[in-house]
Amino acid sequence: MASIENPVAELPPPSASDLAHGEVLYSIRDLTVDYATRAGTVGAVDRVSLDIRKGEIIGLVGESGCGKSTLGKALMRMITPPGHISGGELLFAGEDLMLASDRRMRQLRGARIGMVFQDPMTSLNPLARIIDHLTETIQTHESTVSDAAARDRAEQLVARLGIRIERIDDYPHQFSGGMRQRIMIALALALRADFVIADEPTTALDVIVEAQFLDLLLELRDEFDLTILLITHNIGAVAEISDRVAVMYAGKLVELGPANAVFGETKHPYSQGLLQSVPNIDVDDVDLYQMAGSPPSLVHPPPGCRFHPRCPAAMDICRTEEPAFLKVAPEQATACWLYSKGRYDE
Amino acid sequence: MATTLENPPPESPVHLEEWEQELQKVGLVRRILRARRWYGTDWWFVTISTAMVVAFLVIAIAPQFFAKYDPLGQVGPRLLAPGELPAQEILILPEDSQYNSVADFATGERIPIAVQRETPSSEAARDEADRVTEENAAAGSDERVRLQIQRFETPGEVLDTVVAGDAVAGVMSSSVFKGLADQYPTLQSAGAISSAEQDATSFPLGTNQVGQDVLSRLIWGARIAIIIGFSAAIISFVIGVPLGLLAGFAGGKTDRLMTLIMDSIYAFPGLILAIAITAVLGPSIFNIIVAIAVLYIPTYYRIVRGQTLSAKEELYVEAARSIGAKSREILSRYIFPNVIPSVAIIFSVNVADAILTGAGLSFLGLGLPPSTPDWGIDLARGQEFIRSAWWLITFPGLAVMLVVLAFTMMGEGLVEIFNPKLRER
Repeated sequence: MASIENPVAELPPPSASDLAHGEVLYSIRDLTVDYATRAGTVGAVDRVSLDIRKGEIIGLVGESGCGKSTLGKALMRMITPPGHISGGELLFAGEDLMLASDRRMRQLRGARIGMVFQDPMTSLNPLARIIDHLTETIQTHESTVSDAAARDRAEQLVARLGIRIERIDDYPHQFSGGMRQRIMIALALALRADFVIADEPTTALDVIVEAQFLDLLLELRDEFDLTILLITHNIGAVAEISDRVAVMYAGKLVELGPANAVFGETKHPYSQGLLQSVPNIDVDDVDLYQMAGSPPSLVHPPPGCRFHPRCPAAMDICRTEEPAFLKVAPEQATACWLYSKGRYDE
Repeated sequence: MATTLENPPPESPVHLEEWEQELQKVGLVRRILRARRWYGTDWWFVTISTAMVVAFLVIAIAPQFFAKYDPLGQVGPRLLAPGELPAQEILILPEDSQYNSVADFATGERIPIAVQRETPSSEAARDEADRVTEENAAAGSDERVRLQIQRFETPGEVLDTVVAGDAVAGVMSSSVFKGLADQYPTLQSAGAISSAEQDATSFPLGTNQVGQDVLSRLIWGARIAIIIGFSAAIISFVIGVPLGLLAGFAGGKTDRLMTLIMDSIYAFPGLILAIAITAVLGPSIFNIIVAIAVLYIPTYYRIVRGQTLSAKEELYVEAARSIGAKSREILSRYIFPNVIPSVAIIFSVNVADAILTGAGLSFLGLGLPPSTPDWGIDLARGQEFIRSAWWLITFPGLAVMLVVLAFTMMGEGLVEIFNPKLRER
């Protein structure tokens, strides 16, 4: 098992919120998202099922274009044409979001589900002051709140996130990337959202600000009882703060499990390749592992297991039959014939 | 070290020049005030055009304070060239005459006076005689000036009569006498007799074929130009901008249908479409405005739609949706404010275009009554005198050109002030 020492060494000890069988906040069943393009239908997310538990930080990793961000947007039902959710169930706190009206979705967005975007430089309206963003968010959902009260709440929140209150009247361009990401978090917290989707929040930040931001996420999780879906291709970030990790490849979920299990007892060959691709400062071997090939076209995905053209352990069955997503350890599941072959034979 | 500061590495992506850093810190008003420093030699470009636009607006709003004469009245001789003195009627006497002026004619006897037919001379002579008579009456004297006017076909005949002594004096225009004075050495001018309050500055741009003051008509024409230009630009703005916002934001079939319509209008040659619309609606200033407004709706539509298309893909719009903002709020609070600066600049250029098209329409005789003081109409009326009276078409043409130039230059200047990144370095 070619695992990486560094991220594993930094794994936090299992905390109280690392719930073995915690209450499920968001239950995703067979979610499928298609994009209609000229070349054909692109299955960006293909029958993904995932239970997000209350209070956990779940990391979602994978290469660029594997459907991570699409999944994140689908969870808020923010897929815009030419894309659409073509199947599956979204159960958020027991409510079926696929049946929810647009009005109901608007209420949920911000109020219960917040989102932090990849590029902090463009995710704030350049012509509105920071305070306007916050008060507008509050008053959109709670129209009875007075301007003064909204400002009061905004100031408290901004202060909590470590930004000087007098900066609140500034415009976004006067803020640094890390500060803007904190404002995006503040927008989610302004209405006490309990589920935050962070879509590659640290990609545009330097490593020091990134570490600060991840620490902040951990603190806020405990303080505000947040559940966080951390979408990233930064394996280090996931290893550092996630309770569980989900690995996606070409629109499919290929591995899911507790962070220490996924990084320590990596099952799926793709996850193994992904981990080996992370440079390790402790190892003098300068040859960085490079996975062969590139992700397949999602218009015509390969038959069988979508990873088989690049898989070092590919078998005949991988080329014809799609592997089921099956439990391989008490908390760990993967979709790979290497582990389900025995079951298949039965 | 100093050299490093003066020549920062150009490849550094975050490097901002000093003026740009300063620019980040100040508001719009100071940006304009400091334009000279930031825009180097270009500052006069903005300043001059803005001054011209302001002057035009002031004149157009209150033409009555600037125009000396009624633009519709016959206020002077016909076809007077710019700066030319109105022809003075002068009294011509033999050198040995016992008289020196018209006042000396107040003897009660009829004085024979020679004039040329169909010139203002006889009228001027009578007017002067009446004036002298009234003056004498006011002074308590009852001596009247009585003239016996003799009419001749040519100036030569008039002067011959005076030399022969058949008439006591002649009256003719000073310019005519100047040309003949050499042939009649015994005659001399006894000064102007017309009650001339006019001097060289009376008609700085001359008069037209019906004796109207060209300058006064230009000044009043500015009012028509501003009414047409601004009304048309505002109407197209008010219609084009929301349509562009809606089409860009809604997308799909709505967008395709509206874009098709707008592109068809846009593809049509502007002036011809305006002519067609005015021809259908009938001539009136309102219909001219409507015709021009229709012409420019697609300009706003296309720009706003394009900007909306890109703005709605911006992350901050998606972020707005992620906090539960409604479509209406996204349009009005996030997209509209980010789209509007580019449109504001188009507005200035569009006013200029509308003025030009308006002048074109009235030049072709569409829309306004032919006596209206309008630049296009003045051009149309002046074109038949293009050989003899250059000032009739030159000044209205210059007025149109300068106003259009000023608005366009100001628009371009504003682009640079609002959006300094567009500047060529």
